[in-house]
Amino acid sequence: MKQFSNKYMLLYALGLAAVVALVLTIVATSLKPRQDKNRDAETKQMILKTIGIEATRDNAAELYDKNIDSEISFIAEDGTEIPYYTFDNGIVISLKGNGLWGPIWGYMALDHNGTVLGAVFDHQGETPGLGAEIATDKFANRFIGKQMDEHPIVLKKNADKNNTYEVDAISGSTMTCNGVTEMLEKAFNQYRTITFSESKTEDEQ
Amino acid sequence: MKKLDLIKLPFSKNNPITVQVLGICSCLAVTAQLKPAVVMAISVTVVVALANLIISLMRKSIPPRIRIIVQLVVVSALVILVNQVLTAFVYDVSKQLSVYVGLIITNCIVMGRLEAFAMSNKPLDSLLDGIGNGLGYGVILVILGFVRELFGRGTLWGYPIFEKLGLYNIGYENNGFVIMAPMALILVGIIIWIQRSHNKELQEKS
Repeated sequence: MKQFSNKYMLLYALGLAAVVALVLTIVATSLKPRQDKNRDAETKQMILKTIGIEATRDNAAELYDKNIDSEISFIAEDGTEIPYYTFDNGIVISLKGNGLWGPIWGYMALDHNGTVLGAVFDHQGETPGLGAEIATDKFANRFIGKQMDEHPIVLKKNADKNNTYEVDAISGSTMTCNGVTEMLEKAFNQYRTITFSESKTEDEQ
Repeated sequence: MKKLDLIKLPFSKNNPITVQVLGICSCLAVTAQLKPAVVMAISVTVVVALANLIISLMRKSIPPRIRIIVQLVVVSALVILVNQVLTAFVYDVSKQLSVYVGLIITNCIVMGRLEAFAMSNKPLDSLLDGIGNGLGYGVILVILGFVRELFGRGTLWGYPIFEKLGLYNIGYENNGFVIMAPMALILVGIIIWIQRSHNKELQEKS
């Protein structure tokens, strides 16, 4: 193997970095509008799904305008802006949290009593086949009919089916499921002021 | 080495997982079900093949002292590029793959083949070597995914096969341990055992 001078090595590294950076920047910037459009449509699809409407990426915007009455946000105690969406039978809340490897998020539709009408979850990089299962309908449907009124919902193994505050966790995905539990608890504390302030007393705090 | 051998050998006596013992980490992670195993197998094949080709084209200009980092930059750029294009044009596929991006970049097979083969062989040979190793890796993934999903969940590709056969009614229960990572390792061990007992060349002399 022939020898290379230090100067060559340095220039080679800089050159390679510059070329790769340039290519990636060009690709990322030129594709951004298309990607944003896709992401926006996906968010709308997710919100619609919580209220039981299956939309495709093409008709998501249209169905969203028809079924979601308003997008409102309020300022939480820690200063962050929290969005929620209203529809005929209640509200859709936004969930944000951390899984094992990266962010997880979702939406949950609640009726005026705090009963879950539908939920969807998604993630950035949970392990396929294990933590990534939170994004499946099978997992999300376990939440339907559960309650988010007095306590947040907790994920646990062998959850009691009749307990409306417990949902079965996914085996082999304890860390991701703990993330979901924390995310629900956080959302519960954020949203309780708007959702349940009329009907519930403050003594639990 | 004959061109055909470059594709064939990774399936038998030069398998990346069972003989070279590369890519074990990702093989434990994605084989709890069949579908992710297949997606991962295809992704890794594409990436190893392309990375092998590019590095082989560049091989004479790469300074040996920084070759690993150069390889890593090429692989990462390639994976991110593919992911960006997919996100813009076929969003659903990119959703499926985004989880694997990190796993592919850090996959030992990619680096292993670049270092062991592409750095010292011609572009066409390197491309074939990449395809062969990707598929050789994939075949083990699919076997593991098949066994683990079937016995761990009673499903195949999400289809509830054991439920349809009525096995639960006669007292069968899914084996949760099969879903856990250690079981993948045990299965890989069993595959290595079977392979070595059939192939004398692979047995170490004691």
